[in-house]
Amino acid sequence: MTLLTVSGLRKDFGGLRAISDLSFELRKGEILGLIGPNGAGKTTAFNLITGFIPATAGTALLEGQSILGLKPSAIVKRGIARTFQVVKPFRNLSVLENVTLAAFLNEPRRVRAEEKARATLERVQLSRKIENNAGDLTLGEQKYLEIARALATDAKILFLDEPMGGLNPTEVENACALVQRIRQDGTTVILVEHHMQAIMKISDRVVVLHHGVKIADGTPHDVVRNRDVIAAYLGRQAA
Amino acid sequence: MKHILAAVGVLILFVAPLLTNNSFYQHLMIMVLFWTLLGASWNLLGGFAGQVSFGHATFLGIGAYTTMLFYLSLNMSPWLGMIAGGVLGALVALPIGLICFRLRGPYFSLATLAVAEIVRLVALNWDQLTAGPVGLLITTLPPLSLGGHAVNWESKIPFYYIAAALMLFATVLTYAVSRSRFGAYLTAIREDIDSAEAVGIDTVRVRVSALVLSAFVVGLAGGFYSVYFRYIDPDAVFAISLSVEMVFIAVVGGLATTAGPVVGALVLVSIAEVFRERFAAGHLIFYGLFMMLVIRYLPEGIWGRLRFLLGLTR
Amino acid sequence: MEIFVQSVVSGVLTGSLYAMIAIGLTIVFGVMRIINLAHGEMVMLGMFGAYWSYTLWGIDPFVSILIWSPLMFLVGMAIHRFLLRDVIPKGELNTLLYTAGLSLFVANLALFFWTGDYRTLNLPYAQWPVRPFGIAVPIALAIAFCMAIAITTALYLLLSRTDIGRAIRATAQNSQSAALMGVNVKRIDTITFGVGTALAAAAGVLLVPSLYLYPTVGEILITKCFVIVVLGGLGSVPGAIAGAILLGLVESLGAVYVSVAYKDTIGFVLFLLVLLFRPSGLFGVGRS
Repeated sequence: MTLLTVSGLRKDFGGLRAISDLSFELRKGEILGLIGPNGAGKTTAFNLITGFIPATAGTALLEGQSILGLKPSAIVKRGIARTFQVVKPFRNLSVLENVTLAAFLNEPRRVRAEEKARATLERVQLSRKIENNAGDLTLGEQKYLEIARALATDAKILFLDEPMGGLNPTEVENACALVQRIRQDGTTVILVEHHMQAIMKISDRVVVLHHGVKIADGTPHDVVRNRDVIAAYLGRQAA
Repeated sequence: MKHILAAVGVLILFVAPLLTNNSFYQHLMIMVLFWTLLGASWNLLGGFAGQVSFGHATFLGIGAYTTMLFYLSLNMSPWLGMIAGGVLGALVALPIGLICFRLRGPYFSLATLAVAEIVRLVALNWDQLTAGPVGLLITTLPPLSLGGHAVNWESKIPFYYIAAALMLFATVLTYAVSRSRFGAYLTAIREDIDSAEAVGIDTVRVRVSALVLSAFVVGLAGGFYSVYFRYIDPDAVFAISLSVEMVFIAVVGGLATTAGPVVGALVLVSIAEVFRERFAAGHLIFYGLFMMLVIRYLPEGIWGRLRFLLGLTR
Repeated sequence: MEIFVQSVVSGVLTGSLYAMIAIGLTIVFGVMRIINLAHGEMVMLGMFGAYWSYTLWGIDPFVSILIWSPLMFLVGMAIHRFLLRDVIPKGELNTLLYTAGLSLFVANLALFFWTGDYRTLNLPYAQWPVRPFGIAVPIALAIAFCMAIAITTALYLLLSRTDIGRAIRATAQNSQSAALMGVNVKRIDTITFGVGTALAAAAGVLLVPSLYLYPTVGEILITKCFVIVVLGGLGSVPGAIAGAILLGLVESLGAVYVSVAYKDTIGFVLFLLVLLFRPSGLFGVGRS
């Protein structure tokens, strides 16, 4: 069943068209990879759908309801949570408090919210660091923290923006495993990534953006052989 | 430890005015309570949520004028008038918040300053409503009797207990907020407003709520001001210096703490008074110097430092 | 029509002096991200300096500016180096309150020594206005205007043509990158604060033949300054100039066409409107 339908999404920054006529679907339970060369508009697309910047045109329907134009917090309440490309933890607050804040969305009472936070931190294997200040964690841990924060909102869809960025190979392995576990637990995932092996390994489907336009949409296997995709990354000669 | 301190504090609160016959000392105590009230309500927005307002005097003045005008023109009891002052302050805070919260950082602070100045200038010039620079005066307060005795409005004692009640209200409110989800949301907004939105916090609604709450308490304080001093004019209740002082009390005490404003008010009112005694004409010179020294050496506030030293943090 | 032109001229002349004050405030914000609440007192000190050097030693303010401005440059540097530099790391709010304390301290020190009497400095050659094309132009204000233009031009040249100016602009844009490029950011901060203070004092010296002088004049000036730097965009020098002229015009025309009473209010309402619709200033060049 289709959870999210994006059609004709467009974003202009003054004279620059960052996203043109982007359309794709996200089915429940799938892991969708969003890739493309730098500057393709991936994070912009994320920002548009999650409400952080306003769209110039187009629609985005979550379970049939339009979400474009809503405040980010309203979209979170509808069921979409995101992480940031450059992590933004609440640095001076503890790891537990970071996630508790997210858990508060559906658990107004502190005791229950903290319980949920602990459970979520367990899922991302950060339990040992619960009392530390978020700012003191390593980058990898902060990325996991941000994922935990998003999970604690009971989101139906997780938008992960370059979760593997800056991680070492072991951490990337773990992150992949985490994303797969998340999907197994029932959450749909869409992720932007540059790490090709990771994306190809865990995605069910991949959408490729180039200069704000979708140039491919299919299984990893098909997309990787698509001439336009190869041309986009490596130039016309290589295709 | 904290609870013992609090209990002792409340005890002192109840007993203090009876320990002296000197009405001037009683006046000082009332001023400590008054400023704690103001500092605590500013703290809700400025300390917890990190939204630095330099225009809180707006709500003080609105509370004061509401109480005065309702009493003088409509004969409403000033006690109800005080509450009306709080309510009106809160109502005005709504549009002010919706306008000003579209801005961030120094722009927000300057916007609140601009609003305060506009309201002051309007109050100064709208003679028909506010009597302009001439101000408003209460000559007699309505008689009130409690348990068969008529309250003696000439004594400071009844005013002390009213102020104490208000201060207790503000302090308990701060404490409740600090332990609630709302309080956690305020902290999140202070730390990183975009991340706050990303975890589902409606940052506009939460900030406006904090402002409205804060404004209500300040409005109440304004009503008290009217009743206690019995005379108000635009420069007394809408002055920028009042707004700055509120900030200073919260900062010197210790931001985002419940006891901070109490400590801040205690220290600042006493110091200001000592300076006034010792230095008469030049007392503000030393007050300014004191401000600089405290910020330089105790940037986390007096109570902030004490908490740390006593191991009470987190 | 004549009244209109008169108001415009008046507004522009006063605006040019507001501009000097505002530029001082805005460059300090641009480089150090601090709002100096004691800026108005720096103007006041310039005013008093000129007043005393005229009253006691007969030195014309348009000459003594050559003494007071450099002197206040040094004072400004000292204030930054010995007072502010250690406070800035403690946070924006703390720094702001610190400058509030400084403002209180300086203003009241002046009040104590010089009393709150309103003083004026009457230059014998500036008693009557000149009347080019029938528009009354006060001589002192006209000279001040010319000197303000000269000083602002000199500042522009400093910022755009010299190494120090480049270093200042670089630090304002990104202090970390500037440091990586070899800019001594701490020194630049101190120099910038000195320049800001010198500009404020210079404006004070130029203003004193035209304004009433009293120790707490800084209060009104700083509030006007806030309006200007927000109108023009915090951190922008051209913005400060434009904002200052605009404020000068609004006050002047407002006094004539709306009401003298509400003329200050108009400035603030304009201020609020700009904040709402163009928070980065009328010209979109401010940074927050």
